[in-house]
Amino acid sequence: MDTHRPDDPPRVSPVRPFLDDGDGEGGGAPAGMPGGVPDPAASRVRPYMLTGGRTGPDETELEIEAQVVSTPAGLAALDRHLYEARDIVVLCATPMAVAEIAVRLHLHLGVARVLVGDLLGSGDLSVRRPGSGQHRNAQILERVIRGLEAIR
Amino acid sequence: MDSKPSDSTAPERRPLPLPVKIVIAGGFGVGKTTTVTGISETPALTTDEPMTAIAGGLDRPGEASGKTTTTVALDFGCVTIDDEIKLYLFGTPGQDRFGFMWRDLTEGAIGALVIVDTRRLDDCYPAVDYFEQAKLPFVVAVNKFDGQLSHDLDDVRWALAVRPETPLVTFDARERTSIRDALLVLLRLALQRTTTAAG
Repeated sequence: MDTHRPDDPPRVSPVRPFLDDGDGEGGGAPAGMPGGVPDPAASRVRPYMLTGGRTGPDETELEIEAQVVSTPAGLAALDRHLYEARDIVVLCATPMAVAEIAVRLHLHLGVARVLVGDLLGSGDLSVRRPGSGQHRNAQILERVIRGLEAIR
Repeated sequence: MDSKPSDSTAPERRPLPLPVKIVIAGGFGVGKTTTVTGISETPALTTDEPMTAIAGGLDRPGEASGKTTTTVALDFGCVTIDDEIKLYLFGTPGQDRFGFMWRDLTEGAIGALVIVDTRRLDDCYPAVDYFEQAKLPFVVAVNKFDGQLSHDLDDVRWALAVRPETPLVTFDARERTSIRDALLVLLRLALQRTTTAAG
């Protein structure tokens, strides 16, 4: 039992219980959670019924901030789609993020992602995804700084 | 068909903005939603549900908070940075049982603001642990509820045991400019890491 004085530099302090459980890689969920409690805001339908049981889009996962817009072809051929897929194409006449689609249509984020992925595949939507590594791109960071500095 | 500067005469579809994102994290009831709402140029989108009796047992806002609803999914807002970049701010879900969303929220993020209420310091430990492990730049932002701090900042730093290079700032989640300044500290940290890594 060592006493900890503020002027010691104890890197592992007893006050942060999770501090030392690192396995070296980024990532574990912050704390234990008793498995999936579904989001009560979603519809009464089991969420992944809407996606035929698929839980992810076919290619790499779409980021929740990816920007989505309906293509002219998608808007011209709304009849090809039913229910949520159609709603997404209609909604995305105004560009928005995947997360925003989920909120506005009361869809599970994962479900919105799968459906958007499908609609991208069929050419009804187009997307702008965050470039990989852009969050470490100095020019982009500088522009964000300037943009924020302009806020009054 | 090369790149002529097509001007406003054509009903040109504007190119989609490049999305960038910052995570707003911290314990339950520390002011994450207030922060997202306070800086967002559009009404922040929140799926905020009244706490159920069951969740009430789990979520224990405690006496420290007068909060009666809790964010069960995620909340976010955005700031248009310029004609090409759009900044998104995503608040982490308030409860541990939504921890599975953290990876989605943090993947590709510029960094995170970890909001701290000095009356309940331990609430932010999971977030601090997570970002340290994920090596994501983060700033600890102590929310001055009612303009007061109940602990000295040095004590907060010591109790959190964050690395010396992790900035610790105070801010007021109800003030737009105060949120802006906290975010700027984070962005400068992220920029500094980038240029250090490059040079």
